[in-house]
Amino acid sequence: MERKGIPKSILLRVMLRSFLLQASWNFERLQNLGTLYVLKPALSFLYRDDEFKQACLRHLEHFNTHPFLASPIFGTLLALENEPASRFDVQEFKSMIAAPYAAMGDSFFWGGVRPLAACLALFFAFKGSLAEVAVFLALFNIPHLWFRTVGFWQGYSLGIDSVAKIQEQRLPDQALRLKELTVILLGGLCAYLTFLTLQAKSLAAGWGILVLPLVFVVGWLARRRISVLLLALSMAAVVLAIPQIA
Amino acid sequence: MPVADYLLAAGVAVGCGLDRTAALQMMISRPLVAGPLTGWVLGNAVAGLEVGSLIELLWLGRLPIGAAVPPDDTQVAVGGTALAVLAGPTFGMIGFPSVLLCTLLALPLGKVGELFDRLARYWNDRLALQAQKGVAENRFASVERCHLLGLVHFGLSSLATYAVIVIFGSVALHWLVPVLYAPVVRSAAWLRLGLPLVGAAVLLGTINVNRSLLLFGVSFAAVLLTLAVL
Repeated sequence: MERKGIPKSILLRVMLRSFLLQASWNFERLQNLGTLYVLKPALSFLYRDDEFKQACLRHLEHFNTHPFLASPIFGTLLALENEPASRFDVQEFKSMIAAPYAAMGDSFFWGGVRPLAACLALFFAFKGSLAEVAVFLALFNIPHLWFRTVGFWQGYSLGIDSVAKIQEQRLPDQALRLKELTVILLGGLCAYLTFLTLQAKSLAAGWGILVLPLVFVVGWLARRRISVLLLALSMAAVVLAIPQIA
Repeated sequence: MPVADYLLAAGVAVGCGLDRTAALQMMISRPLVAGPLTGWVLGNAVAGLEVGSLIELLWLGRLPIGAAVPPDDTQVAVGGTALAVLAGPTFGMIGFPSVLLCTLLALPLGKVGELFDRLARYWNDRLALQAQKGVAENRFASVERCHLLGLVHFGLSSLATYAVIVIFGSVALHWLVPVLYAPVVRSAAWLRLGLPLVGAAVLLGTINVNRSLLLFGVSFAAVLLTLAVL
């Protein structure tokens, strides 16, 4: 059967709805209701009566992936739904692709882009510049919005081939580079903050090197799953107690 | 008027809270943005900037993966800023020490956010079941209704966390200001360094990069040396 071609207005509605994918996130089936909410305008265009009902029930199955990489998946799903011969593959595709996309998205966006954007913005923040807000939002949202918009249209136009397009991006490798860059920036940021503090206290910058073992010990404790809250409050208690004792 | 200001900040709390999971996820929920935004609404963006920069790194490494619910640093930033800007001056606190004390107070109170967030997600379980029932009975509009009700759940969760931080924080300030304000003023500069350092250490400990300690150490020493020489 020939593709009907989903009108652009409906595709636009689906894409915009994807920004609310997680509004009903639940422990039982995670993003299932969100997925149906996002796809519903297109499903109601493609199907009627019982077919529509079956399509809705199909998309109420358990589903979970990274919210930004969900858009390319939704585009591909619509391409598959649009070809009746491949309808069976919709569920197969969803279950096959959700976990790898989730892993890539988590690593790239939450583990890579977000810490990097935050570290860069913090340089501005510690200088007291409100420009940090614009820096942070721009750095994070350029790739974010690219995946949500371009990724969706590519998913729809390329169909199942969009998976190869995503693979070409080599997100896990990029995430690793971003993390390395974040660590380097983090070192610079801590040095900058240490320098500012020592300068304010009229102390020699050389004392700042003592911060390194402190950071390594706290990092080791965090790796040992000591609560961040406990670490932060303990540090504050020690800092407040030292002048009292002295 | 203070009550109107608290309500304005509550609006920011809900808006930013929804951005955490339920809607957009454009990161206006991060402390670096939510803090200054709250401060700007309350007429002191710099206080919000200071709160945000103190806590941004603390839970940055906690990823919202699958069913994991990270600590609600959004409401810590919004509530901490509201306390610093609105409650601080009524206790005679001003400037950065006020920001510090209010942030230290908001941090443990923000733990309750995890509980409220989980509750919202449990309520959403019912919505998914209701929608499924609705579709089975050909009531297809129930999909939109149930899904968007989830926004209300997440919004209420954010509001409840903000309310706990602001109400209990204001009460706690009564007791803590006489005891802790003077020491906080004395140690303000070290606390300004300490909190981001703890955050950086936690991020470093959890970022999962080979040779991370070496990269961090070299970068730290190089920048410190450069700044000292310049």
